Amino acid sequence: MEGVMRSDAKICGESGTESSPRGLGCSLRHFACEQNLLSRPDGSASFLQGVAEKSREWLIRNTCEAVVLGTLHPRTSITVVLQVISDAGSLLACCLNAACMALVDAGVPMRALFCGVTCALDSDGTLMLDPTAKQEKEARAVLTFALDSVERKLLMSTTKGLYSDAELQQCLAAAQAASQHVFRFYRESLQRRYSKS
Amino acid sequence: MAEAAAVVAESLAGGRARAARTVLDQVVLPGEELLLPEQEDADGPGGAGERPLRLNAGARARVRVVCGPGLRRCGDRLLVTKCGRLRHKEPGGGSGGGVYWVDSQQKRYVPVKGDHVIGIVTAKSGDIFKVDVGGSEPASLSYLAFEGATKRNRPNVQVGDLIYGQFVVANKDMEPEMVCIDSCGRANGMGVIGQDGLLFKVTLGLIRKLLAPDCEILQEVGKLYPLEIVFGMNGRIWVKAKTIQQTLILANILEACEHMTADQRKQIFSRLAES
Amino acid sequence: MKETPLSNCERRFLLRAIEEKKRLDGRQTYDYRNIKISFGTDYGCCVVELGKTRVLGQVSCELVSPKLNRATEGILFFNLELSQMAAPAFEPGRQSDLLVKLNRLLERCLRNSKCIDTESLCVVAGEKVWQIRVDLHLLNHDGNIIDAASIAAVVALCHFRRPDVSVQGDEVTLYTPEERDPVPLSIHHMPICVSFAFFQQGTYLLVDPNEREERVMDGLLVLAMNKHREICTIQSSGGIMLLKEQVLRCSKIAGVKVAEITELIQKALENDQKVRKEGGKFGFAESIANQRITAFKMEKAPIDTSDVEEKAEEIIAEAEPPSEVVSKPVLWTPGTAQIGEGIENSWGDLEDSEKEDEDEGGSDEAIILDSITMDTGVEVSNIGSQDAPIVLSDSEEEEMIILEPDKNPKKIRTKTISAKQEKAPSKKPVKKRKKKRPAN
Repeated sequence: MEGVMRSDAKICGESGTESSPRGLGCSLRHFACEQNLLSRPDGSASFLQGVAEKSREWLIRNTCEAVVLGTLHPRTSITVVLQVISDAGSLLACCLNAACMALVDAGVPMRALFCGVTCALDSDGTLMLDPTAKQEKEARAVLTFALDSVERKLLMSTTKGLYSDAELQQCLAAAQAASQHVFRFYRESLQRRYSKS
Repeated sequence: MAEAAAVVAESLAGGRARAARTVLDQVVLPGEELLLPEQEDADGPGGAGERPLRLNAGARARVRVVCGPGLRRCGDRLLVTKCGRLRHKEPGGGSGGGVYWVDSQQKRYVPVKGDHVIGIVTAKSGDIFKVDVGGSEPASLSYLAFEGATKRNRPNVQVGDLIYGQFVVANKDMEPEMVCIDSCGRANGMGVIGQDGLLFKVTLGLIRKLLAPDCEILQEVGKLYPLEIVFGMNGRIWVKAKTIQQTLILANILEACEHMTADQRKQIFSRLAES
Repeated sequence: MKETPLSNCERRFLLRAIEEKKRLDGRQTYDYRNIKISFGTDYGCCVVELGKTRVLGQVSCELVSPKLNRATEGILFFNLELSQMAAPAFEPGRQSDLLVKLNRLLERCLRNSKCIDTESLCVVAGEKVWQIRVDLHLLNHDGNIIDAASIAAVVALCHFRRPDVSVQGDEVTLYTPEERDPVPLSIHHMPICVSFAFFQQGTYLLVDPNEREERVMDGLLVLAMNKHREICTIQSSGGIMLLKEQVLRCSKIAGVKVAEITELIQKALENDQKVRKEGGKFGFAESIANQRITAFKMEKAPIDTSDVEEKAEEIIAEAEPPSEVVSKPVLWTPGTAQIGEGIENSWGDLEDSEKEDEDEGGSDEAIILDSITMDTGVEVSNIGSQDAPIVLSDSEEEEMIILEPDKNPKKIRTKTISAKQEKAPSKKPVKKRKKKRPAN
C-alpha cells in the first residue's frame, strides 16, 4: 500500500550571534520558523533555534507516533523527512520542533503538540537550557526531553553523561518551564499564519 | 494579533478547556479542548469536567453536535486535532448544537463521501478506471458509473483524462470509489472534462473559500472574461477561457487569492477590470 | 510514492502555450525564475532558490593522503542527493538514472573544468592534502535541478573557508578559527549550468524549465559556462536533433545568463562578507522574509528557573522510594538462573522486537494458544530445548518447530509437528507469522 502524507522539515541550528554572557545559561536562544516554504510536500517547516543517525531517528519517530492520531489514517504512511542544515547545539530538540511544525503544517491529526528542550549540566552542576554546540561538548551531562502541549508530560527523554536524580528532576522542571515559551512561539506563529484566512 | 494576547495566557495555563463559543473564528491548535455551550452553562468554563456527557440530560432538549474535520469527541468535550480557525454552523431548526469544524490550510486531500473532486485517470483495468484524486490511494471508478453507460455503450475515457465525479465510498478502511452520476442516474455536470483548459492545484482551504456562498471572488472573476470553471474539493481547479492568455490570467488570480485579504482582492479586481 | 500524473489536458495546454510564447508563470522564453541566495552562519553553507526549486549546499574539508598518481593535488568530491522531501517520487538511498545523470554532469561542470586550484590544497606532497567535499541536497523540486545545484555548489565553494595549516619539518599544525583566520579556497573561475528545454522536436525552446515544462519537453541541452564565455561542459539529452545554429544561439544566451548569475553570486557573497565584518546579524534566520505571514521569529527568551530546585526536591520527596527487593537467584539448570519473579514468558516478543507491526493482536493470539511457530533458522529455537531434539518435519508447507511453553515458564519443551497435523489449533498463528516475516 502506498502511503502519501508527507511533512518535511528543514532544521537549522545556528549559533547565537550575541556574545553577551547569558545569565546562568537559563534562556532559550532566539527562535525563527517558516511554515509551508516548500511547494511539493504537504507540509513543511524550517525551524531555527538560537542561531541551528539512526537512534535519533527512532527517538523522533516514537515521539511523533505518540501524538499523531494514526488510527484516523490506516493504510497510509506518514513520512517525515528532516534535513539538518547546520548544527549549533540542541540539535535533537530542534529536530523535534521542526517535525512538530511540519506535521501541523501538513494537517496531520494530532492529539497534542510537542516540543523538544535540551538541558546541559556543566561540571559544577549549573543548569543550561538550549545549549550551544560548544556548551554541549563541555557539559557533564546533556538531557533532551520531548514534552506534550496538553499536560506538559514527558513523551521522550534521552540523556548522555552522569547526573543525579535530583538533577534530572531539575532539568525536567526547567524543560517544562521552557516548553511554555516554545508552545507560545508555536501559537503565535500559527496565529500569524492564519491571520488572513 | 490582538486575539493572541488575550487567549494565550489562559490556554497555556495547562490543558484547561475553553468554551467553543468564545473561540469561534479564532485559531485553535491540536490538543486544545473545547467545551460546548450546553456544558458551559452547567460546568462553567474551566470547571471540573468530570460529569458525564449530558447531551440529553434532564430538562434540556436533545442537542445534536457534529464534529467536522479537525475535531474529535473526547469524553464530553471536543478535542482539536488540526490547526486552523474554528468554525460553527447553527443547525437549521433549533438552537444549540450544530456543526463545528476547523478550517485549515492543508494541502493533502483525504476523500470524504459526497465530495465532488477532479481526478486524473491513471489506468484502465477491466471494468474499472483507477483515478488519482490526490489522496493516499487512487479511487476506483466503474465504467458503468457514467450517464447512459451500458455494458455495450462504454464511455470514452482515456488514461490521462480528467474526471469530475463524486465519492460514493470514502472511508479510512476502504479504497475510495467515485461515480459520475447522481442518485437518479443523471450526469448533473459530472463526467469527463474537456481536453482543453488548464488544471492547477491550490490548497484545500482555498477551494472551500471559493465555494463559500458569500464569496465574491467567483462573481468578480466571472466579470473579467467568459469562462468555464470546475472546482474539485481535492484542491484542483480546472479553468478554461477563450484564449490561453485569459486562462493563464484567471489561474494566476485564483492562486493568488489564497493569501489576500478581501480588501487586497478588491484592489486587484478593480485594477484588472480597468486594463 | 508515485508522482501525481500529468493529465492530457495539462500537456495540451502547456504545449499550446509554448507555441504562443506564453509560460505558466508569466515568464518570457529566455527568462530565469528569481534566484535567491542565502547563507548559513557556518562558512560554506548556503541555500539557493530558483523559483520554487531549492538546493542546499554544504562544503566540508578533511586532511587525507593524496591519490597515488596525483601526489600534490587536493581532492574534490561532489555529491547531490535527491531526498523525498523534494518530490514524492524520489526514493531515499536509490541511485536513480536522473540522480546519476545529474551527479555526472556536476562533476564534469565543476571538477573537470578545474575551477578550483587543487594544487593549493596540498599540505605535504604525497602525504597530506585537503579533501573538499561538496554536499548538495535538493529540498524542493520544481524543475531545473542542475542549474540550481551548480549555482549552489559554486556559491558554497566560494563562501567556504578551510582552517589554516602550517608545516614545520614533518609536523603539520592545524589552527582553530580563533587562532588564525580560516582561508578561502583559490577559485579560478565559476562554471554555471544553463538549461534549455526543447519542445516539438526542437521547434520551441525555453530557458530554465520548471517542473511541468520539463514533463512535456522533448529534449534538454545543458551548457556550463563561466563569465569569460568559456564552455566548461555541454550535454544534450532526450535524443533530439539540434542544428548547429541552435547550439550556437544557446551558447550566446548562456553567455548572457551566466554573466548575470555570476554578478548576482558575487553581490551575495560581498553582502554576506560585509555583514559579517560589521558584526551584523547573519545566517538563515536573517534570510527568512519577516513580512511573510508564514514566518515568525521570537527573540531570545529568558526562562525563570529559580524554582526548579524546589520543584525537583518536592517531586523526589513525594516519590515513593524504589522497592529494594532482591530475591535469591534460583538455579534452574546449569547456565540458566532466575532472579525475582520475572514476567510471563512471551516468546512472541522475541520475534516482535521490531515494533513495526500494528496488528499486535496476532502475536497475542499466538501466546494464548500456547504455541508459536518459528522458522528453523531462528536462533532462539535452541534456547529452551533441552529435553527433545529438534526434528525437522517434511511437511509441504515449510519446515517449522513449534515451541510450546510449559506451565513453568523456564522449561520449554520443543515439539515438532508437521504442519498438516497441527492444522486445528495453531493454523491461525502460523499464517500470521508467515505474513509478517517479510516485514521484518
